[in-house]
Amino acid sequence: MWRKVANWYREWEDEQIAVLEKPELASQSPHRFRRFYYGKLAERSPLERQQMRDFSLALKGWRGWLWTAAMFAVYALGGVALHLHSDLGWGAAILVANVCGMSLTFALISAWFNYRQFARKKIRLFKMVVVFAVFGAVTSTALSMWMQGQPISHAMERVSHFLTGVLIGSLVIMVPVLIVSVLRNRQYEVVNAQLQRENEQARLARELAESQLRLLRAQIEPHFLFNTLGAVQQLAQHGAPRAAELTSNLIDFLRSSMRDMRSEQVCLAAEFGLVESYLKVMQVRLGERLRFSLQLPRALEQVQLPTMILLTLVENAIKHGIEPALRGGEVTVSAEAIDQAVRIRVRDGGVGMSTIAEPDGGGGTGLDNVRHRLRLAYGDAASLRLHDGEPGLIADVTIPYVQA
Amino acid sequence: MHPTLLVAEDEPLMRERLLEMLAESWPEARVVLVAENGNDAWDGFLEHEPDVAFLDIRMPGLSGLEVAERIGTMAHVVFVTAYDQYAVDAFDAGAVDYLLKPVQVDRLERAVARLKAKFTQPPSDGAAMGELLRHLKSALPGVRQERTKWIRASVGRQVRVIDVDEVLFFQSDTRYTRIVLRDYEALVRTPLKDLLSTLDPERFWQIHRATVVNVNAIQAAERLDAERMQVLVKGSEEKLAVSRTFVHLFRE
Repeated sequence: MWRKVANWYREWEDEQIAVLEKPELASQSPHRFRRFYYGKLAERSPLERQQMRDFSLALKGWRGWLWTAAMFAVYALGGVALHLHSDLGWGAAILVANVCGMSLTFALISAWFNYRQFARKKIRLFKMVVVFAVFGAVTSTALSMWMQGQPISHAMERVSHFLTGVLIGSLVIMVPVLIVSVLRNRQYEVVNAQLQRENEQARLARELAESQLRLLRAQIEPHFLFNTLGAVQQLAQHGAPRAAELTSNLIDFLRSSMRDMRSEQVCLAAEFGLVESYLKVMQVRLGERLRFSLQLPRALEQVQLPTMILLTLVENAIKHGIEPALRGGEVTVSAEAIDQAVRIRVRDGGVGMSTIAEPDGGGGTGLDNVRHRLRLAYGDAASLRLHDGEPGLIADVTIPYVQA
Repeated sequence: MHPTLLVAEDEPLMRERLLEMLAESWPEARVVLVAENGNDAWDGFLEHEPDVAFLDIRMPGLSGLEVAERIGTMAHVVFVTAYDQYAVDAFDAGAVDYLLKPVQVDRLERAVARLKAKFTQPPSDGAAMGELLRHLKSALPGVRQERTKWIRASVGRQVRVIDVDEVLFFQSDTRYTRIVLRDYEALVRTPLKDLLSTLDPERFWQIHRATVVNVNAIQAAERLDAERMQVLVKGSEEKLAVSRTFVHLFRE
């Protein structure tokens, strides 16, 4: 019998720790009641589960029994004191002390580990305790009176007498439980907020890393790099001065994109310079199929913009607008102050809107990244909009205008 | 014997370079057509029927893969591409040779040597080639061509929006294309070779360099002699000539 209980307890303990570590195991228990209990455990937040798991591990096996025995001894001592100061017999005093002490201990342990539920459902919890207490008081009084052969009609006096005691008793349990759970909950929220802040920072770093990676890929993208080097080779073979010019544009592009990679924001003048060297390289390669113009008002030269955004849009204009167009087209890049905002526009006169949706691994994700970085830098104050240029496509980036 | 070559490449400098290198590595070959996009490459192929086609994969209009698909076994194909080694691994298993851009002399010379050896045999077997092209199309990003659903055309003083599914056939008329429907016909300024690249090849069969017919509108094909056929179209009096290149479409 004893061994059976011990085995049962050990099994239950192992299962509970397993569920706390992997909440998805909760529904696998064969016993209905345990499944219900584990389901409740699985609903708790990761931090709560972690805390409870540490506690369960610390009290696993004989340690748990040792602590229980120690508590029993302490409450038994309380019972002795109760016996000496009241008219209760030895056994009854020790039993009462243990029942009260253990209830309080378990209530506090539950509050310590399930503080979020407790703190959130204070009123409901309180109501439940009172209802159970009153129910217990009424039935036990009625039962004892019936056993002693007293008429039930006398019960009301005794119940009200007993009830006061019961209410005081439940308050004695409730108040510390509430204090513990509210304090623990406050602590939890602080830790949680900190975790969230760390997550957000990690996400920002990831976004930045992703766009840097995109830039790196753009530089060494085989179509860009090899076709450009091939063009240099061809020009160099004939000793044309254009070879030197193309090389110096390629150097400008690579150098300023490396600068972009090291910073998060860059001024429009620098970004227009980067885009110009890129377009010059592409113009040598595509010949008459590409024409371009850049318009940056002097007043906007120092406006800051997250890196990579403008280049991504211009690359898209070339890749999806000009290159697939049989007769090519013109790319215009311009910036303009409108009210309290700066609008940066990339327009290509090539293939239109329908091709933008093409799932080709480059175009779509590039625009997603642009949107993300705008949101990270400006929240809802910035936007990217695409519309039909007839022919071609217009991409407008609008950012808040902060005058220096 | 002078093999004839087609070179299709959209970037002018790369084109120049490939032509110069070919002139050195394969002096006896004759370049019969230089195309700047896929549409011109296919149209020129039909006109000149060269022995070998050097095709850039990424081009405006029809991609190199789509041109190769149409060429089928009519010529040897060599792809010229800047896609990296990883993406073109598929080639090594397949029936088609390829050159990585920028093209290097030794690599081109090897390809030419292989072409000379293969020359005595007919071009690679069609099934393996089709398989390879399907694989490449899904593996290489950005080589799909958009399909047109509507064509704007002037008919008299009106502009009509024509649903391509209702077209019986398209016929090239020098720089214009004649579009024939059940009740009327229209002329558009777009050349047939450019319209062709935006039509679904499963539903619109090219039966001649100058004619594309809607499969649903074909009533029958008649044999005229050993080599020539003509197509009868539902809802039209006209009989459309099938050129030798496309007779295979109507073999049972």
